Amino acid sequence: MFIQQLELTHFRNYEKAEVAFSKGINVFLGENAQGKTNLMEAIYVLAMARSHRTANDKELIQWNEEFARISGRVQKKHSSFPLDITISRKGKKAKFNHLEQKKLSAYIGNLNVILFAPEDLSLVKGAPNVRRKFIDMELGQISPVYLHHLVEYQHILKQRNQYLKQLAMRKATDLTFLEVLTEQLAISGAAVLKERFSFAKQLETWAQPIHQEISKQREELMIDYACSIVLTDPEDKEAIYTDLLNVYQDNQKRELDQGTTIAGPHRDDLKFFVNEKNVQTYGSQGQQRTTALSIKLAEISLMHELTGEYPVLLLDDVLSELDDNRQTHLLTAIQNKVQTFLTTTSLDGVKKNLLDAPKVFNIDQGNIETESE
Amino acid sequence: MQYPEPISKLMDSYMKLPGIGAKTAARLAFFTIDMDEEDVTDFAKSLISAKRDLHYCSICGNITESDPCDICRDKDRDRSTILVVEDVKDVMALERVREYHGLYHVLHGILSPIEGTGPEDINIPSLLKRLQSEEVQEVILATNASAEGEATATYLSRLIRPAGIKVTRLAHGLSVGSDIEYADEITLLKAVEGRREI
Ligand SMILES: Nc1ncnc2c1ncn2[C@@H]1O[C@H](COP(=O)(O)OP(=O)(O)O)[C@@H](O)[C@H]1O
Ligand SMILES: [Mg+2]
Ligand SMILES: [Zn+2]
Repeated sequence: MFIQQLELTHFRNYEKAEVAFSKGINVFLGENAQGKTNLMEAIYVLAMARSHRTANDKELIQWNEEFARISGRVQKKHSSFPLDITISRKGKKAKFNHLEQKKLSAYIGNLNVILFAPEDLSLVKGAPNVRRKFIDMELGQISPVYLHHLVEYQHILKQRNQYLKQLAMRKATDLTFLEVLTEQLAISGAAVLKERFSFAKQLETWAQPIHQEISKQREELMIDYACSIVLTDPEDKEAIYTDLLNVYQDNQKRELDQGTTIAGPHRDDLKFFVNEKNVQTYGSQGQQRTTALSIKLAEISLMHELTGEYPVLLLDDVLSELDDNRQTHLLTAIQNKVQTFLTTTSLDGVKKNLLDAPKVFNIDQGNIETESE
Repeated sequence: MQYPEPISKLMDSYMKLPGIGAKTAARLAFFTIDMDEEDVTDFAKSLISAKRDLHYCSICGNITESDPCDICRDKDRDRSTILVVEDVKDVMALERVREYHGLYHVLHGILSPIEGTGPEDINIPSLLKRLQSEEVQEVILATNASAEGEATATYLSRLIRPAGIKVTRLAHGLSVGSDIEYADEITLLKAVEGRREI
């Protein structure tokens, strides 16, 4: 799939902008603080109905304006449709093909994006919540059903934690109601876990050969979904449900003391191993970079396999961070297949011969100018 | 400049209504001043009589002018089924359909710890009492399809089933006249889960 055109109104430092993109590589060239990342963010928001930089939608509205609007047209193999996001102080509206989608889970997934920014190195190095968010974002784009279960899980978790707190403070006493909440949590928890396990497996399958190639056959990558509970069979939803219930049973006394749900998908992690050593703790910076890159490239193939379309790739300031060998891998992998947006302050450090006829846009204080070849 | 006191007082009253903030309240207040005196008097009277003349039925919790309500007193209704709903508006909606001829029970809320609503805070005890004294054979749980609606329904069925009473849940899924191809995935998922034999 690819984005044909994009129109911005009062988005960050863009007063008004309209651009037509190339199916191949698009380069946003400009000094610092001119609006390159803002443009990437706009594309991300168009796909995910939320920003990757902030949880507060209102920050996206241009200062002193009432609303921000992003619209674009997406072309897929067999269809073409407009997407439209409007953010006002009151909230946001997401339209697919001119129709407002009340449930974001029905909107997300129409445009698939993969974003790679320097902070993605923290995917390997950072705290577990970074990796949980990574799974949720990627899986959520591919599977609306996953997104539904996840939202439901988080919601029920909030209810259950609140009720545990009330029980702990003796403001509530009804254990039958706790049991009902526990079962509800286990139902959506089981659905979430099953999909996460299979996602981690598939990701590993795709990332392994890529990592091997980038490391010149020296390294073998393994990905493990580190579940906070022991599962008898991660492929069987019923079995996961039973396992979850047993764990909640065992934890009940402690949960009633602490007033919170101790174990479950909200406490899980993703672990990466290179040659059987945990990259997070023992990997060199180079290995961590290779791992992050292999995972991003694997995602492209995985999405293609699961949805039949290649996602759109957003590379924010990463190309210059990668050495020649890694750049070559990245650029060869996407060539002629994946619509790519990349930002840079200069084309000097970039392997030009691999940038196949890029369309260059000069970004200057919220203005976009198409460079004539 | 500050608002004249009668205006502020009226605004304060409007702001007690759901979804009305200071801006809307000011607009409504100034609009009220420009209304005919007669209309304003009618308005005030309706407000007071709605509050004074309406009560909740002591049996089912429905809103009514006389206690028990018309439905509970109606000898022609089927006393063996009770349909449980979250609020009075749901009773009105179901009555408009004219297909259901049993009795109702209004919970006046739904179980939601984050909203501070636990089992003690909604109209459950009087339901359990009805199940002892009346010749009830079936309870239909018609709470919404939200997570809270499901939790409330499951909780109630835990309490009711041991008494040997049949408990059923209203079906959720595709709305009538909707095309499968246009339904979102979640609705389809629920529809498939709730499928029945024909
Ligand atoms: N809501 C907003 N309204 C107007 N300008 C904004 C808003 N948010 C950020 N900016 C401006 O955008 C610029 C940063 O743009 P960014 O895309 O992050 O830069 P870069 O080109 O370095 O990636 C800064 O000048 C900042 O002041
Ligand atoms: Mg930037
Ligand atoms: Zn009644």
